Amino acid sequence: MLLNRKGSGARWRVRPDGPDKVTGKLAYLTDMTAPDMLIGRVLRSPHPHARITAIRTEQAAAMDGVHAVITHKDVPGLNRFGIANPDQPVLCEDRVRYVGDAVAAVAADSIEIAEQALRLIEVDYELLEVVEDAEYALEDDAPKLHPQGNLLHRNGFKRGDVDAGFDSCAHVVEETYYTPRQMHTYMETEGGLFIPGDDGRLTVYSPTQHGFMDRMQLARILAIPQSDIRIVSSPIGGSFGGKDELNVQPYGALLARATKRPVKLHNSRWESVRVGLKRHPMKISMKTGIDENGKLIAHQAKIIADTGPYATLGAEVLNFAVEHVIGPYRYENLDVEGFSVYTNNGLSGEFRGFGGNQAIFALEGQFDRLAEKLGIDPWELRLRNMRKSDDPGPFDHPIALTEGAKQVSAAMTASALWQERGNPGRTEEEQAEPWIRTGIGAAFTMHGAGLGFGIPDPAGGRLTLAADGKIEAVFGYEEFGQGLIASLEQMLIEQFGFASQDIRIIIGDTDVVPDSGSTTASRATSMMWKSLQNLRPLFEEAVLGKAAEILKLSASRLRFGEGGVYAIDADTDSSEAECLITYPALAAGCVEPITSTTQFHFPTSATEKVGAHFLYTYSAVAVKVEVNQLTGRIRLLHQYHTVAAGPVINPQGFLGQIEGGSSMALGFALTEDAVMSGGQYLTKNLDTYLVPTIAEHRGTMDVHPIEELPEEDTYGPRGIGEVGSVTLAPAIAAAIYDAVGVRVTKLPIDPELLLAQSIDQLLDKAVSGE
Amino acid sequence: MKDSMKPLSRLETSSIPCTLNGQEISLNVPPAKRLLHILRDDLEMTGTKRSCDIGRCGACMVMVDGVPVNSCLTMAYQCSGKSITTIEGVSAGGMDPIQRAFLEEGGFQCGYCTPGMIISVKALLDHNPDPTPPEIEEALSGNICRCTGYGGIKRAVQKAIEWRREAYESESVHD
Repeated sequence: MLLNRKGSGARWRVRPDGPDKVTGKLAYLTDMTAPDMLIGRVLRSPHPHARITAIRTEQAAAMDGVHAVITHKDVPGLNRFGIANPDQPVLCEDRVRYVGDAVAAVAADSIEIAEQALRLIEVDYELLEVVEDAEYALEDDAPKLHPQGNLLHRNGFKRGDVDAGFDSCAHVVEETYYTPRQMHTYMETEGGLFIPGDDGRLTVYSPTQHGFMDRMQLARILAIPQSDIRIVSSPIGGSFGGKDELNVQPYGALLARATKRPVKLHNSRWESVRVGLKRHPMKISMKTGIDENGKLIAHQAKIIADTGPYATLGAEVLNFAVEHVIGPYRYENLDVEGFSVYTNNGLSGEFRGFGGNQAIFALEGQFDRLAEKLGIDPWELRLRNMRKSDDPGPFDHPIALTEGAKQVSAAMTASALWQERGNPGRTEEEQAEPWIRTGIGAAFTMHGAGLGFGIPDPAGGRLTLAADGKIEAVFGYEEFGQGLIASLEQMLIEQFGFASQDIRIIIGDTDVVPDSGSTTASRATSMMWKSLQNLRPLFEEAVLGKAAEILKLSASRLRFGEGGVYAIDADTDSSEAECLITYPALAAGCVEPITSTTQFHFPTSATEKVGAHFLYTYSAVAVKVEVNQLTGRIRLLHQYHTVAAGPVINPQGFLGQIEGGSSMALGFALTEDAVMSGGQYLTKNLDTYLVPTIAEHRGTMDVHPIEELPEEDTYGPRGIGEVGSVTLAPAIAAAIYDAVGVRVTKLPIDPELLLAQSIDQLLDKAVSGE
Repeated sequence: MKDSMKPLSRLETSSIPCTLNGQEISLNVPPAKRLLHILRDDLEMTGTKRSCDIGRCGACMVMVDGVPVNSCLTMAYQCSGKSITTIEGVSAGGMDPIQRAFLEEGGFQCGYCTPGMIISVKALLDHNPDPTPPEIEEALSGNICRCTGYGGIKRAVQKAIEWRREAYESESVHD
């Protein structure tokens, strides 16, 4: 059944964080101020690659209203950051490697003074050769950006003998695919407020996707214990992976410590563009062969990922891409490898889809081309090679059993949109305007969730009956818009029977929450669900036990309900149902709050392959596009997304994630690219970096969740935060081919490729109206 | 040089009378200061959001005499004698039906674009209570939402149109 408000009935709920958002009352962390606050600004390198020979800050420091000017000499601890591999300087010592590199930072009374102070800082640079091509960076004579060279990470997977495999193939397709430097474009740019306490502690109010990771990294930079830092990290005005790594936090923290005053930073959009993470531009070369029956015999892929100047999670993104260029299919012989390469371009890193977007665009393109060579339907070729439910995962590793692949394939091929395919009738628009062509295409995805094997991936949370009688749900997760608070509230209401007014949700504050792991990798809702599964018997035993003691009843006869504890057979919907004891009364009867906790690890595969996933979400997407051969522009007429991810926890959130993910994929496919030349950004703001607007979303969109899981499944709802963003681009490419016979290999799609060859004839028709 | 001959400093303030959310005020700010910064930094009204600073994203939208404008491109002197409505003003008398429609339909996620988006919807519907889909697209294409893919926003606008029509019709019946 399609997901919508009407069909969801009472499960369609107003988000608890909604009223403050639609009225503008919600204070984001970049809205905060403090008395006596200073403004912080960071001096960034104008050059993509240079040696620093001198930094002179005296003039800036002497300016009235300037309270601190800091350089690398003022970093007390590790002058580096990076979640997995700290190789990015907080403040550069002797070399800059991209235009986002920080050289100095100031704290001043006002923005104007801070900016003037930056202008007074003199830095002498000796320009170095700019490494702007990832393949060149791997050559022996390219300048080395790091002592170990320019290769951040290499990973691959082999089985059998692809060369022998290709020799025996009936058809082989070789193609190279290119994907853009996509920008997260969260609407709230990076920023925050940094407040030094009288007790020597530092409180950081700044968006991040993992408060405890920021705390660890800042403690390492400041050389103070983690317990001296409190990170408050929600609410967040969008992240999409982009605020996972540290951004302004080191500068805010250092300046607040240096001045002993609150310091605020809030990046301009241009600073956000030049400094912030982007999606890795990838060049993916593939060679794939089938026998005369369409069976996959050999598949070879080589990925070159431009990771920019520093690591962040570039290695992990590459691992993900290597896994997903294999995807949901079975091959006799496999040889895939990837290289994540340092350059002097923009910094690439974690971004919704995490390397899957690029990999799936390439892989699905191969199937469309091979099917054409064989002369069969492109989906039929996928079906012949699609993994069975008990097949191993991409790295031949054990994965959780589901029928997801089969389910989404069956649903997509049965959809009205897919059934419409091959219909020879031309639409009214096409008849009236012969330069308009329509086509239908589809693509398939199996997308991993969690951080994968070999990476610490903790989960857990806490339920407390607080002293005031509120049920506190406490998790170390972040709300960046995805609806985590709403989903948690909905689970507490539906699974436990609480009313929304019984519940207090506490997230995003390292002083009070447990480490539930990161809010990334489509993992948070799954892990909250699992936590509540674990907590329910514990919390029932403790709280209902206490109620039983007070009421002098058997605990087995009691259950949670709205406002308090009820007899197990009491019908809450009936007005006669009697609340035996309210939660406040129960709390008043407790000497101390009742708390239940759970801690566990995200499920992983029994494998040795680092990054291999265990839980996957499956999706199939069909799309109908209109190609205008006079302008080369594309319009989406209709999209159909089916997603097999287990039970839908929050219908509004689920729909929003798939619709929003799809919009991001639309930009990836058609318009978005942070263009660089010589290591400099040419697209500096939203006038040239084109994010889809409402006008690009004229078409309709259906979302069809498939909720059934095998009976024995204990993992519950799978992640849906990323899957909506990975499948649309290859589906659009297939639809374009269906419409105008042009194969797309590079995103965003160049409109010039789609212009009619016989444009004069079309123009004549346009003018004459014939 | 006489004082009056000096070029006006960027930071020199002047007194600019205007109406903000129905209240008559005087802004004592440099004439070229951006309305966005006056609202957020001087008046501490942070419902109006800062995002692109160049008038492309709509997060900072306010109404000036009922017309939606990007406050990041509006200078203080341009507000002289004008009536400014911010998101705080839209909900001053309780939640507007547009805001309720955004809640009901899930027309927001992170919420950072939402105040500006709601200002644009309000400015549209105040002038054109029954817009066509292309008119809605045109009115909202200066407001970028990165989270929702606009599905919930489109549904919220339809719902708001419906609710406002119902409210109007029931008022007409009572008249």
